[in-house]
Amino acid sequence: MKGIMRASAAIVIISAVLFYAVHLLESSSATTGSGSISVYNWGEYIDPEVISQFEEETGIQVVYETFASNESMMTKIEQGGTSYDVAMPSEYAIEKMKENDLLLPIDHSKLPNLENIDPYFLDLPFDPGNEYSIPYFWGTVGIAYNPTLLEEQTFESWNDLWNPALEQEVILVDSAREVIGLGLNSLGYSLNSTDLGELREATDKLKTLGPNVKAIIGDEIVEMMRREEAAVAVTWSGQAADMMWVNEDIDYVVPEEGSNLWFDNMIIPSTAGNVDGAHQFINFMLDAEVAAKNAEYVGYSSPNAAALELMDPEVTGDERFYPTEEMRDRLEVYENLGLEMLGVYNELFLEFKMDMEK
Amino acid sequence: MAKLSKPAKIYLALVFFVLYAPIFYLIFYSFNSGGTMSGFEDFTWEHYAAVFNDTRLLIIVLNTVIVALLSALISTAIGVLGAIGIIFLRNRKMRNAVLSLNTVLIVSPDVIIGASFLILFTMVGVKLGFASVLVSHIAFSIPIVVIMVLPKLQEMSSSLIDAATDLGASQRDILTRVIIPYIKPGIFAGFFLALTYSLDDFAVTFFVTGNGFATLSVEIYSMARAGITLTINALSALIFVVTLGLVLGYYFFNQRSGANAGTGGTRP
Repeated sequence: MKGIMRASAAIVIISAVLFYAVHLLESSSATTGSGSISVYNWGEYIDPEVISQFEEETGIQVVYETFASNESMMTKIEQGGTSYDVAMPSEYAIEKMKENDLLLPIDHSKLPNLENIDPYFLDLPFDPGNEYSIPYFWGTVGIAYNPTLLEEQTFESWNDLWNPALEQEVILVDSAREVIGLGLNSLGYSLNSTDLGELREATDKLKTLGPNVKAIIGDEIVEMMRREEAAVAVTWSGQAADMMWVNEDIDYVVPEEGSNLWFDNMIIPSTAGNVDGAHQFINFMLDAEVAAKNAEYVGYSSPNAAALELMDPEVTGDERFYPTEEMRDRLEVYENLGLEMLGVYNELFLEFKMDMEK
Repeated sequence: MAKLSKPAKIYLALVFFVLYAPIFYLIFYSFNSGGTMSGFEDFTWEHYAAVFNDTRLLIIVLNTVIVALLSALISTAIGVLGAIGIIFLRNRKMRNAVLSLNTVLIVSPDVIIGASFLILFTMVGVKLGFASVLVSHIAFSIPIVVIMVLPKLQEMSSSLIDAATDLGASQRDILTRVIIPYIKPGIFAGFFLALTYSLDDFAVTFFVTGNGFATLSVEIYSMARAGITLTINALSALIFVVTLGLVLGYYFFNQRSGANAGTGGTRP
């Protein structure tokens, strides 16, 4: 009994010492100032130096946390029990959150830097007047490919994926709207189609792509393409940029039939505890120099016109990642199709995947 | 013990090689200046420096350890009392029912336990963070402790208790001087198992972390989304070394107390 008591006391003392160590670490990283805000973002989606710069300039301490999908982020916020002040969801998630009253309106008078944003990215259908969201990054869906592994094959159209020479070479991103969208686009239909006939046709066409598909996976795509384990991948522009960062042979193209244009945005969840601090943070992220630095670190396309002027023209002039407005007109933004339609998309995607297993 | 034959030794070596190879592969690349897990370039300590410069990561490591220690301690206390309670239940049916309920908690998927905790905490209005993680870890550790302690209690002869009563021991004496010393190895085993469960739990913790509080497994999962950086390798190497140290420490502690028990008799 004595031994157990002694061991328990030792554990309690060790825990107390560790608690004290955590406390010391937390206070050493915090600057004295008015409170803190917590930011909820995708992993590896911000330059850590930008955060420390914000802490130094405003004295507000940033508690930074990451999520891996829009869905898990929404669940955490919807369930309550958290008090994130700023989060960065994608556009379709914003529509859903708006419907569920999970967002606070953004006070534009507190965001003088909002004028830096290219007007093209403001007032979009998913949030008219930017009442609830401010653009953070944007990008496209397209085809990343490695010409050194292919024989003279190029990709201008989605239909090029059906080339028999590409047997077991194509990776698809594991996401229903992207893959069904690919099928719809290749037939010239809208990405937001709710016509069951069109969707059926698209799925049947996708099934004929089966022999060419090597895998349907998520973030592992980047590593596989870097290591040249596959030659072609349907993926987001930012992932393609990540691939090129390591493997310079890789190229990226947005097919001529059109594709998806997506936006990640900064929002203030209804559970926020420090709304004023959240506005300060959003305004800070809109600053030209900060946005430029952040965009160079993250590698996605920035909607910040003033920041683009400060960046390397070789990057901002790259039409693969900064398509001209004319090219953007061919692209479509996902609309919120409602739960029922989303179910249909998921069902068809599943059907396509099951068909592959045969 | 019989001496191992040569093929047996080779087989043993092979099994251990397969078990440990991934860990050493990971540690090996933590010294790579190349920045990826393919192609070793130069030897460097920079990833280890990065671990110690990242205060957020250090705080998370410390928090993980605190949660593990406290949850293991508290769940051991509750679990031991629970096991003693179960063993002294007179009604056989009742005892089996309680035991099955305990087992159900062990075999039910972590995801379900995690999700139900999330719903419970938000309904009661508990803010997600240290407290919610600690409570849920205690909860899923208790059944494990019970399972570890029960066999020791079952093998204990009831005549020991009868003898103690005959010699005038009070209920309290029987508990602290007879039962608990007898089941001590089970208690320690339960504690260490609860500790490891808490340290590496992902599924339950994933649901109940929030507001800037995270444990290591949840954090590594979020980081891995963007490809594993070698900082993770360095951190894993450090944790491996510390665990190795703990196991060796436990081994020596056991040897010493074992020797004491052999010479010192039973009475302090």
